[in-house]
Amino acid sequence: MTAPTTSAASAPAAPAAPDRPGPRTSTRVLTVALALVVLAAVLAVALRGTFRDGPLEPAAPTPQGSKAVARVLEGEGTDLEVRRYTTDAAQALAEGRTVLVTDPSALDAAQLDRLAEARASGHGHLVLVRPSFFVLAHLAPDIRPAGSLKETTSLGADDSCAAASLHAREIRVGPAEDVAKSATLYRAGDGFDACFRHGDGAAVVTGEGVTVLGSATLLTNAGVGDLDNAAVALNALGGDDGASALTWYVPSPTDPLAEEHPSLLDRLPDFALPLALWACAIILAVLLALSRRLGPVVVEPLPVSVRARELTVGRAHLLHRADARDAAARSLRTRTAVRLASRLGVRREGRLDALIAALAPHTSLAPEQLRTLLGPTPVRSDQELLRLSEDLDALEKEIHR
Amino acid sequence: MRDLPALRLRGALLGVVGALPIVLVPHWATVLVCALVWVALLVLDLLLTPSPKTLLVRRRSPGQVRLGEEGTGRLLVTNPGDRGVDVRLRDAWNPTAGLADQRAELTIPARERRAVDQVFRPTRRGRHTSRALVLAVRGRLGLIERRGTRQVPGELLALHAFGSRRHLPSRMRRLREIEGLAAVHQRGQGTEFDSLRDFVDGDDVRSIDWRATARRRSVVVRTWRPERDRHVLIVVDTSRTSAGRVGDAPRLDSALDATLLLTALAAQAGDRVDVLCADRVPHVQVHGGNARTVLHDVVAATAPVEPALVESDWEMVASEIRRRARRGALVVLLTPIEPGAAGQGLLPVASRIAADHPLIVGSAADPALASMARERGSIGAVYRAASAEQETIEREGTARALERCGAHVVDVVPDDLPQAIADQYLALKAAGRL
Repeated sequence: MTAPTTSAASAPAAPAAPDRPGPRTSTRVLTVALALVVLAAVLAVALRGTFRDGPLEPAAPTPQGSKAVARVLEGEGTDLEVRRYTTDAAQALAEGRTVLVTDPSALDAAQLDRLAEARASGHGHLVLVRPSFFVLAHLAPDIRPAGSLKETTSLGADDSCAAASLHAREIRVGPAEDVAKSATLYRAGDGFDACFRHGDGAAVVTGEGVTVLGSATLLTNAGVGDLDNAAVALNALGGDDGASALTWYVPSPTDPLAEEHPSLLDRLPDFALPLALWACAIILAVLLALSRRLGPVVVEPLPVSVRARELTVGRAHLLHRADARDAAARSLRTRTAVRLASRLGVRREGRLDALIAALAPHTSLAPEQLRTLLGPTPVRSDQELLRLSEDLDALEKEIHR
Repeated sequence: MRDLPALRLRGALLGVVGALPIVLVPHWATVLVCALVWVALLVLDLLLTPSPKTLLVRRRSPGQVRLGEEGTGRLLVTNPGDRGVDVRLRDAWNPTAGLADQRAELTIPARERRAVDQVFRPTRRGRHTSRALVLAVRGRLGLIERRGTRQVPGELLALHAFGSRRHLPSRMRRLREIEGLAAVHQRGQGTEFDSLRDFVDGDDVRSIDWRATARRRSVVVRTWRPERDRHVLIVVDTSRTSAGRVGDAPRLDSALDATLLLTALAAQAGDRVDVLCADRVPHVQVHGGNARTVLHDVVAATAPVEPALVESDWEMVASEIRRRARRGALVVLLTPIEPGAAGQGLLPVASRIAADHPLIVGSAADPALASMARERGSIGAVYRAASAEQETIEREGTARALERCGAHVVDVVPDDLPQAIADQYLALKAAGRL
């Protein structure tokens, strides 16, 4: 009935066999495996080589990097140098090199003015990737953004392109993964060539020493192979004669020029930091005051108690899972027979024949049917077991009436 | 007793005042000065506050309470110091002791005493204790408090509800009938000579006392009455099978209920009652020497008894019975009839006991078995019904085996168990079998 089985009959503790791996051995195996994994990781990193990853980084072989374009340009004989500070880029521009600004939007007004001065003083060429309105206002006021392309689109060159086509027929522009969510189109005033038009705008604009590329896909490793994108990239950066000088300017947040602004903290009043410290102290004190409990937690020694019917239900589940229909049927039949026998005054130990003979006058069932019902007839399916239980109930009701 | 200072909320919020100088003179030195002043105030308050050690606490324990009733206790806190104190106190009883409010706040003037009245409504049978008494004396400035945990032992014994008490009057009436009934006035085992009286029509001629008749002119008969001062030994099984919960209460509770009813009845009938609670070892034993106090003794002794997850040692029980009861004493064994457990140890022991003693085996049956046996409608329900029927068959088999050994088996639902045991006792008494 109740099933609070004790573990009194616990298995005798077997002594650890010498040939079985004990806990110490398995720990050693685990340590060795861990060391191997670490070694493999270090080797993989070393073999892969080190590079600086980031959008349009000239050394990054990742989809967002631009190693493909950089390597091809170097192969063509271009003198390529990477610069990260505005001062260096402006100097290169003044020296007449071509300067690619991979992320002009990261530059502030001072940096842009520095670049504009350098361009005016020399005859360098500036290539801008997706410049914003703010950037263009400083560097090329005649070019204006004219909408964006949120989906990848193929644009073709037409007759009005002139130099801006950069010897390409059709390019694919649009969002570049991890670099930009869209491509930007531009409209330019007189004196500029615009190409690869879509509606009012054009994806590539060139003139007056400035080339504006409207999409990062023209330079990324992932996008440069599409259609004639490579032609645009190489011609915009390498120039026509092949042996040119290119400065790859990747704006850096640690640029000394960019740090001349007052930070957010400088704008706070003087007492802010001491007050914040004081507030922390007060909060700590309040937490300390509220967290203290008055006295110990009291544990209730609860008594054990198990529902008495659990064992019966468990045995029913076992019977069900084992499909022990005959055992179930035997229990049902036996109890019914016992109840009927005591009702009719037949001796409990009597044979089935005596019970059937006593039942026959009181029921509508034939003796053969009674024998099938109460005797050890095999039960082959769940439906038969269900029907048997109902038939037994019906028989008992009939007799009790 | 430990004595620890604790920060109060007011002491923590005092720091807000320090924000003003910090705003006016924004400098790190200001912060440092404010912090030092804050800490100094807290330390000052600590030094001004008397320790909770100085307070004197006395307790009046609630003693014994019947389940479902109320008990009262009282804490007396004395302040022997020269200044009044504000005290928070918590009396940490376990939850089922049913103490309505564990916390109290007191203001005790100098050299005075205050009382905390406590009301207990226990929800669980057994022994309840106060684990600790925590006193927190508030600082003079109210910034801190000093806390001390003190051991002031408190104990509450929650007694069995004895729900079968209401059946006692009817059984008492039946007992009086047996004692006064003419039909019982025949000689037999377990009867003793009562008196001589004149013969009336209908009296058994075999009961005529010829010697007394010869001395007098009328015919005189002897009358007999059930023998008094018999010995009843009640053995309560507290092993794992008694832990099974039937309805809301474990089987042990109905067994104890039956024990109490039988004790009360037998004490009234003039019999001596001993009670033994045992599983692997004998736990509780009550020797019913005094008929007036035996019921109280049994109630108090069985209150903390809980079932344990161990198997009963029936050989030990048999030897205990042999040691305590003379031949012929009534033995009442209150244990669930489990086909498995009974087959292992109970049956052979029961037959040995029944050879020497009248034996009643009382068992709380599970009413859920009958309702499960009627389940129909799905294949799972039919299997449950079959399992319940199988259980019933095995129980009945065990009960029959016990009866064949000579025991009187009472296997009824827990609510009926006390009355059924009492009725079986009365039937044995009426039949002169004691």
